[in-house]
Amino acid sequence: MIEFKNVSKTYDTGTEAVHNANFKIEKGEFTFLVGSSGSGKSTLIKMILKEEDPSSGNIIINGKDTTYLKPKRVPYLRRSMGVVFQDFRLLPDKTVYENVAFAMYIVKATPRHIRRQVPMVLALVGLSGKAKMYPNELSGGEQQRVALARALVNNPSMLIADEPTGNLDPETAWDIMTLLNDINMRGTTVVIATHAKDIVDRMKKRVIEISDGNIIRDDKKGGYDSEI
Amino acid sequence: MRYNVIGYLLSEGFHNVMKNKKSTGASLMIMCATMLIFGLFFLIGENVNHMMKELEENQGMQVFMTKKVSDEQIQELEEKIKDLPDVAKVEFISKEQGMNTFKERYGENARILDAYTGDDNPITDSFVVTLTKLEKSEEVKAQIEGFENVKNIELRDKTIEALIKVTNGVRIVSAVILVLLIVISVFIIANTIKLTVHARRKEISIMKYVGATNGFIRWPFIVEGIIIGVVAALISVLLLGIAYNSLMGQITSSDVFSNMGLSLLTFSEIFGLIITVYLILGTGIGALGSIISMRKYLEV
Repeated sequence: MIEFKNVSKTYDTGTEAVHNANFKIEKGEFTFLVGSSGSGKSTLIKMILKEEDPSSGNIIINGKDTTYLKPKRVPYLRRSMGVVFQDFRLLPDKTVYENVAFAMYIVKATPRHIRRQVPMVLALVGLSGKAKMYPNELSGGEQQRVALARALVNNPSMLIADEPTGNLDPETAWDIMTLLNDINMRGTTVVIATHAKDIVDRMKKRVIEISDGNIIRDDKKGGYDSEI
Repeated sequence: MRYNVIGYLLSEGFHNVMKNKKSTGASLMIMCATMLIFGLFFLIGENVNHMMKELEENQGMQVFMTKKVSDEQIQELEEKIKDLPDVAKVEFISKEQGMNTFKERYGENARILDAYTGDDNPITDSFVVTLTKLEKSEEVKAQIEGFENVKNIELRDKTIEALIKVTNGVRIVSAVILVLLIVISVFIIANTIKLTVHARRKEISIMKYVGATNGFIRWPFIVEGIIIGVVAALISVLLLGIAYNSLMGQITSSDVFSNMGLSLLTFSEIFGLIITVYLILGTGIGALGSIISMRKYLEV
């Protein structure tokens, strides 16, 4: 599903953010990408999203090498993945329903399809009753659920989350994490970049750890720290 | 589905226009100014062209024949002139007719010409030759001079040459001004739209992450630019019409042109042309401006 082959990334400023990364995430897997801030985590995520291009090596997504993908094709690549961020990135002047429907507008879905699909994902993330509310009327956890609904509404085959619980209190963070787990159970590949140690330890999922641009650990059922 | 997408793009475009009232107003004003200045030159150009046409219809050259020509020779010459390229019409004027017009011009003093009748008539038979293109008059004149039985040729109006120069001058000046103004307008529109783009950069980045194509992101902003352009075109055509009609009133009442046998175009005669040119100009400038303003933001 997502495969990195000898991927390195050096920014124009000269800093090497990722050095010779090799890993493969299979379809349906649930993977944590851990590491302190500045470790290269975000760069990995950005390269999956094709927001940044690798300086060398190849990235294969859904069996396709995206390294040399034409800029024109990038939007279609992104439609195969849902994305959520630490800061939710909702549109403040649109309701919950509109925020989610927006993602479907963009891919030119039919109004009929939108009317059927949006309530379905809102139910999935547990926000059925709040469709008409605006983001600033919601708690952080609820806002992140809206973002999740938006990421999932076009049925992507994978979900990429960059610090999805970074702005949430531990309890809400755990709720979001279990929701992500549920989504994974339905067959969506989930990749989460985080440094929420307790959550990673509790989930007992695959952990890829990156430090100073190097992948230093890849545990199939790991905790945040390697068990010595 | 198509209808729905178009509806979305249009409503987003209108939304953008309304959100930035101040800078939209500023670019509207600049665009109107551009269009009005352009319109001024355009109208001058059109009127000069119009007058040229009138001249072409009314005036040409008069070809005087030698004194003793037979009817056959007259006919032969007429055929030859008719066969020349760029000749529109050949009209025969007998020496008697020529004398009569001459007399008319003298008005009350015409009696002094009474002696010059019959064989004493100094005016010879002639042709009035009308041309399809005024610029060719020198060429045609030279060709006719080469024919038999031609005594002399008078170009009937010296203003022609002056007018040709004026037309060309007006054309060049208005082209240069047009280009300059278009460049200025494009940049001002681009700046206005940049404000909207900046205000909506968050939305744009979300659109990019969800997989919107650049075209889809760009369209609402292009619509915004086009709306500004079209509104500017409509305002300009209105202002230009009012200004032109009041100016026309003053000019026609002063008889300057009608004395010369010339008339100005009425605004309704050029309305269609002006509004077409304005709309093309407005949409073009608007669309180009927004495309320029978007470039930076689409590179995510």
